[in-house]
Amino acid sequence: MMSADKLVKIVTEKLSGLADEIRYVESAGIIVRVKPVNLREAAHIVHDDIDAYFRTMMAVDERPLNNTFAAYYVFGRDQEGVNIIIETHADPLTPVLPTIADIVPAADWYELEAWDLLGIRFKDRKLHRFVLPDDWPEGLYPLRKDVEYTARPSPRITYKPPLQGPRLPVGPYHPALHEPEYFELFVEGERVVDVEYNGFHVHRGIEKLAESLRFTYQKVPFLAERICGICGFVHSVAYTLSVENAAKIEVPERAQYIRSIVLEVERLHSHLLWLGVACHLLGYDAGFMHSWRIREKVMVLAELLTGSRKTYGINLVGGVRKDINTYKITAINNTLAWLRSEFTKLADLVTSVPQIVRRARGTGILPRDEARKLSVVGPVARASGLDRDVRRDYPYCAYKDVSFKVPVYTEGDNLARVLVRVDEIFEAMNIIEQLLDQLPGGPIMAEEIEVPEGLIGVGNVEAPRGEDIHVIITGRGRPYRWRVRAPTYQNIPALRIMLHDAPLADAPLTIASIDPCFSCTDRIVVIDLKTGRREKLKAPSIPGGCGCKIWV
Amino acid sequence: MGLKKLFKPFKLISVARHSGVVTVLYPYQKPLITAEFRGKISIDASKCMGCGACANTCPPNALILSRRDNTIILNYFIGRCIFCGRCAEVCPVGAITVTHEFELASMSTRDLNESLVHQVEKCSGCGGGLGATRRMLQYVILHSPTAENYVHLCPNCRKKRFINALVMKMGARTENVES
Repeated sequence: MMSADKLVKIVTEKLSGLADEIRYVESAGIIVRVKPVNLREAAHIVHDDIDAYFRTMMAVDERPLNNTFAAYYVFGRDQEGVNIIIETHADPLTPVLPTIADIVPAADWYELEAWDLLGIRFKDRKLHRFVLPDDWPEGLYPLRKDVEYTARPSPRITYKPPLQGPRLPVGPYHPALHEPEYFELFVEGERVVDVEYNGFHVHRGIEKLAESLRFTYQKVPFLAERICGICGFVHSVAYTLSVENAAKIEVPERAQYIRSIVLEVERLHSHLLWLGVACHLLGYDAGFMHSWRIREKVMVLAELLTGSRKTYGINLVGGVRKDINTYKITAINNTLAWLRSEFTKLADLVTSVPQIVRRARGTGILPRDEARKLSVVGPVARASGLDRDVRRDYPYCAYKDVSFKVPVYTEGDNLARVLVRVDEIFEAMNIIEQLLDQLPGGPIMAEEIEVPEGLIGVGNVEAPRGEDIHVIITGRGRPYRWRVRAPTYQNIPALRIMLHDAPLADAPLTIASIDPCFSCTDRIVVIDLKTGRREKLKAPSIPGGCGCKIWV
Repeated sequence: MGLKKLFKPFKLISVARHSGVVTVLYPYQKPLITAEFRGKISIDASKCMGCGACANTCPPNALILSRRDNTIILNYFIGRCIFCGRCAEVCPVGAITVTHEFELASMSTRDLNESLVHQVEKCSGCGGGLGATRRMLQYVILHSPTAENYVHLCPNCRKKRFINALVMKMGARTENVES
């Protein structure tokens, strides 16, 4: 690849003084290994000079491999579609790394999570409980390899000081999204001055589970699909892509097309769902009803294509399990024709209703430079003038064979986010039609699937909510480390800016405007915070993701 | 123009009239499922041979194969099932089929468990238990006919017979080997 070579040259030029080793791995990107002392400077150069977005960070307990704790900071250059990964290793006994959260604000959460789950201390910053519940015992880091998946420590009950000052709790259930989240809005009269997010109530330990002996490479796609109840298929595709990239498995063309078609069907139903919820939040229930009436046809179509309305379960490493025949192609075309005429009417209607337009315009503004700093993704980024879309920038599956527009708005308000999604629904329909026109023949499953150990792979998918990225280190029979980063994880920190100095009444819509998916963002053990009681996964305590278990 | 824009929201009336009622009186009318729908699985007891291929691939461990004394038990717990149908794909004898059944709610977990008990074959040499059912042995013989000679023996007896045959070939007397 030309662009990759050029970027390798730039990176070598700028970082050769700091790096111990620079290598280009096709499955992941340019891996730059630095010593912890040089990490800050390297991150500064990659983030600001090379102008790469921060995508994800994977902390790994590599003590069984090379007796260190490793951290992989994944940056991405959208122009070339190549990742720059800064790799650094910390001491096995007292792992300490310098913080980069002041240079790369988007890395804030990742550092807290690495501290919580792996016990990697970050110098010169405040560390606190983030993912794990408050009564989790000190000094027990669940993602370390010496902690078994079956370990169930007894909780440590502590006293929590009462809240101070005027605060307004919103949650633990979102007024519209039925999901466990907890926002503390600090208010002055009717205006919001600050926001504190308290999440991870439904962290299910999925990453740890996939590393446990119960799982194999071919079982994880079904687990990955259950990360989210709305855009589950993107997670299973991202996982399979990361494994296939790492192990260089050739996936048949037809399977890639089928994956892309199903991904776009999923985008259709997800955006229609969101549009309905947004209408409902603004008190326009007629729009909500009609949006969901249209969505129902998409759900039936998804069932016809995959066998299930949700959690399609057709993905495996190496290909897909269900083929598309002529009967299904006719059904897709019929549904799309109907959908296009119905949705055109609805979109026209929704964007003309004064109570929606006037409430959405100018509220929840996320300026472009703040969006860039936080490396936000998906419709949130595109509504703030950042022209980024994984489907175009880091092509995967069959997206290299289709042409589509990436809608970008510069206003950065709630209305822009509505319009981005409305445009994307039309684009998704175009993409499906193009894919069906050029659907190649052949098998749908790779013949030989063998995954060697110790390889790194990155898989990314443009989910309805934004970029979903999985990083994997392969192990024997199952992933050694599997890092999931759902789009909402990147977008929630932006809420602080969107809600700042906004009227309280706009807060629910603004929170919903990033289309948050809390179950995606949360992934360890369920503990009842009040009683300290540990519970197994039960339906009422674990909504299927996006809180829409009830609705799907 | 301004007036047209003002009255645009009222187009909803025509949309609503056009679409009519779309909901279904579900328990009384037929649910809207397509031919491709995956519901609970059904295991054909007359075909299953208890090999456990399904239990090995089952992602949520809804199918569990366990051995108790002289039986091999295949247990299917619907409560854990995610209706992916992987078991039906990997079953070597096609004993598992995916049905359209999905109304599975029950007051008792007993209704959600299905067990299939297989008798374990006895070793024709020493009479001890083999690790396989009769159908598994038949399956092996069907796919590699030469296996008929040793398939009914347990690993220990097989070892003995092999050493015997080897030593006999080399010309030694059997008594030495037996001791």
